[in-house]
Amino acid sequence: MRKVTAELIVKDPAKFAHHDRVFLNNPVVMQGMGLAPLVVLATSGQNAVMLAAAVALLLVPSRVVACLLSRLVPLRDEDPSQEELQKKLLPRALIYAFSPAVVYLAAYPILNAVFGTGLLSLGIYLPLLTVEPLLTYRFGRVQETVHKAVSKGLRITVGYALLLVLLGCVREWLSAGTVFGAAVGSRALLPMASMPAGGFIVLGVLCAVWRALAKKRREYLEKEARSLVAVNHQKEAEHGE
Amino acid sequence: MRDVVITSAEFFSYAVLAVFAQNAVFTRALGVSRLVQLVGDDRTSSWLFGLQLCITQVLVAPIAWYAGSGIAPLANRAQLRPLVYIASIAVVCFAEYAVLWLAKGLPHRSALLRILPLAALNSCVLGTVLVERTQSFTLGQSWGFGFGSGLGYVLAVLLVTEARHRLRSKAIPEAFRGLPITLVYIGVLALAIYGFTGHSVIL
Repeated sequence: MRKVTAELIVKDPAKFAHHDRVFLNNPVVMQGMGLAPLVVLATSGQNAVMLAAAVALLLVPSRVVACLLSRLVPLRDEDPSQEELQKKLLPRALIYAFSPAVVYLAAYPILNAVFGTGLLSLGIYLPLLTVEPLLTYRFGRVQETVHKAVSKGLRITVGYALLLVLLGCVREWLSAGTVFGAAVGSRALLPMASMPAGGFIVLGVLCAVWRALAKKRREYLEKEARSLVAVNHQKEAEHGE
Repeated sequence: MRDVVITSAEFFSYAVLAVFAQNAVFTRALGVSRLVQLVGDDRTSSWLFGLQLCITQVLVAPIAWYAGSGIAPLANRAQLRPLVYIASIAVVCFAEYAVLWLAKGLPHRSALLRILPLAALNSCVLGTVLVERTQSFTLGQSWGFGFGSGLGYVLAVLLVTEARHRLRSKAIPEAFRGLPITLVYIGVLALAIYGFTGHSVIL
């Protein structure tokens, strides 16, 4: 662990964890964003990969476009007044919903060329990604910079894709006894896992396990950081003498 | 007279279909992210949100039906879908906003204005519109389905809100408290719905 990281963790552990969108603060597990495609469609590794590709193509460009356009109606305060919200919330929401729809125009032919008819199995959930809170949640928050939009967008994409593929593989294994089409184990353990109801339940259990692991990891990091900072202080004191 | 009876019968039967057999939340998981946030958010009233969502669904259905028919002959219609349907929702948003802006004396006006974008631009509204198109509903059927879908969403919100206190109970393992147990609970409710319809929903 680097000294700077250790000092940050000791000073403000919540801020450090908040920064990590892949594991410690995964947008799905911690905030419950982007659940619909996960629950219904992440039933096999193949589907999960297609969804992840679609999210990767849509999320960052649409976030940058929306970020640039929403400068016309910026929200500057952390806690805006009622009047300001009434005037700016709707235009901002529309900007954040239209940007993915425009990016979709370019993303759809690419997905179509790569996945062909397989794309049809995504049904209504592919166009539905355009209003997913994962892509649009910034409309009610403070105006962000382009740099932040890109870096956060990339981290969220990785975090979401990871969960998609993980859930897709777990559900495929439970419902069909295969992973990416290859047989694993001798039989299907839980055929219900391929249905939306099973999706809710498997995702719920997965979230709980993930949260427990994230908590453990946070505690470990904080302990490590504290001891590292203490050692550094001691060293500096010795040099001082 | 006969036409009126047939149309209204169709409207109500599709509304009932959308509330129970094809509930937006329990069978298609539409708008679950919003629902989970709504249940945890004490500032936003579930009733006002549900009311606004129903109104939006009813108003969007005919506009989206005409817009959908408009792009149906085009070769790249799949590509245009989100843009066209979000534009339909935007039209409804502006109409609702204008009404709320003019009706100064309306109770809960400021709360309704704040909820408006949340209740309109979510995957429940867009998803319902897309389902109506993929299942080739007629105008009357779409209208009924949209209305029922809104009611079905409210039903789901109420069922989850009802259980909220129990879902926070100390008897639940700490890692499960909050979002994970809510998801498991929705899953069990969804299973109950399969009990009387079977799972044969076209996605």
